[in-house]
Amino acid sequence: MTARRFSGRLWWRPNIAGLLTMAACGLAWELTIQAGIIDFQYLPAPSAIIQGARELVASGELAAATVHTLESVFLGWAIAVAAGVSLGLLLGFSPLLRRYSLATIEVLRPMPAIAFVPVALLLFGFSIQTELMVIVLPSLWPVLINTMGGVMGVHARLGEVGRTFRLSRAAMLYKVFLPAATPTILVGMRISLTLAVVLAVLAEMVGNPEGLGYGVVSQQQALRPDLMFVYVVVIGLLGLALNALLIGVVSVSFPAAAAELKGYRP
Amino acid sequence: MKRGELGAFLRMAAAEIPPARGLIPLLALLTLWQLLAPGPSAYFPAPFEWWRAALLLWDSGQLLPAFAATVTTFVEGLVLAVAIGVALGIAIGTSRPVERALGPLLEFMRAIPPPVTVPIATLLLGYDVTMKLTVVALSAIWPILLNTSSAAAHVEPLLRDVARTFRLSTARWIHQVVVPSVVPSILLGIRVAIPLAIVVTLLVEMLTSLPGIGALMIQSQRNFQSAQVYALLVVVGLFGFIVNDLFAVIEAIVLRRWPARGGFRSG
Repeated sequence: MTARRFSGRLWWRPNIAGLLTMAACGLAWELTIQAGIIDFQYLPAPSAIIQGARELVASGELAAATVHTLESVFLGWAIAVAAGVSLGLLLGFSPLLRRYSLATIEVLRPMPAIAFVPVALLLFGFSIQTELMVIVLPSLWPVLINTMGGVMGVHARLGEVGRTFRLSRAAMLYKVFLPAATPTILVGMRISLTLAVVLAVLAEMVGNPEGLGYGVVSQQQALRPDLMFVYVVVIGLLGLALNALLIGVVSVSFPAAAAELKGYRP
Repeated sequence: MKRGELGAFLRMAAAEIPPARGLIPLLALLTLWQLLAPGPSAYFPAPFEWWRAALLLWDSGQLLPAFAATVTTFVEGLVLAVAIGVALGIAIGTSRPVERALGPLLEFMRAIPPPVTVPIATLLLGYDVTMKLTVVALSAIWPILLNTSSAAAHVEPLLRDVARTFRLSTARWIHQVVVPSVVPSILLGIRVAIPLAIVVTLLVEMLTSLPGIGALMIQSQRNFQSAQVYALLVVVGLFGFIVNDLFAVIEAIVLRRWPARGGFRSG
């Protein structure tokens, strides 16, 4: 455990060898294209991608697409978290409910996210609702399962203490169970956020023709690989940025839960 | 497989499935659906209509080849990802400088959502089965590779000392110490990779109309054959469930042979 923690800290020191490798790979990519060593018709050089990024930023397309995707991710994630935490609390507290619904959850949970796309399209057409349905349903599970597990994992003695103080049911929830389950719930929320980004992009690729995911597909069909790679890179950076943002917010507001969150890599 | 082992296997398989009474909400929902919407509908066709649509698809000879194509791609892609991911992961993880040098690059590659690799691959490789397989393997490889390399880099220090005391050669060190201690992490990586591989397989089929369940789904949606869409949703859902459960059993069997050790928490 100590070895792990120590090396975990090493990660945050600037990894010069790693950054150099990345730069070298980029340079090698550029040079092989320039020299015509590998000749994929549609593989743009990094310089062409940077040029493409300028083009997309200047026309405002990139900003509009990013805003759309961000909105969908946050909205979908918020719905998934709200529903997941409430259902998870219910299931965590009630053994009866658990007994009569766990198998249903186990059947529905492994449902591949993308299978919802045709159904959502059937119900809502090419719209934001389609995108939200595809985001919410799969990203609900990590929050639900972790909330349930968090509540069930609260030490029995804490419940006894609460009862000794004759706390009301609401007070038990807010003063005992929620705080104790918070670290686990936050881990679920983080998995769910990462998932929501992937799902938003997925839904935009085959469902709602808007946002960054649609950008990738439409530029591929327009045979503009330089612009397509711009969207790909932005999507990757967006995922990293949202993850970092979540960890930052949690470290400030729930410092005790942050350690657990960082240890988990989805 | 001996008889006792078979029994243990079946018991383990059964233990992975929670009690059937938990299925009541799902069955209640489907019954209610059937009662409220008894006939065909453009949006909410009744469950019996799904069944009819599935039978029609089966009779027309479309369902089985599509399903076979999807399953083949999924399995081949996953096997490829496991083979390459584990080999590369151990190679990277056992050397500290290599791990540090490649770390950020691999983390960035992993940050790119797998679905996005599909349009890239269609442009670079064209529309064919090789492309389909490449994309699936490429999407599934990251969790396996990164989990393996991270575990190989953090082999229990005590084992490291023991190996040094016995002056194990590099080959024996990898074979007898590294491999057994990375097995739990490899399994964890595969567990994460399975849903990715399924999603990407279906996505390739949807985007490129290469034969498979994905293509069939999007085609029935475009023709507004709603019952068929729901029928295929059930097929895909069942497939996901079975794969998930099967892997849980495999995981349990393998972990009995190579249990996860304390000290290193993968993830």
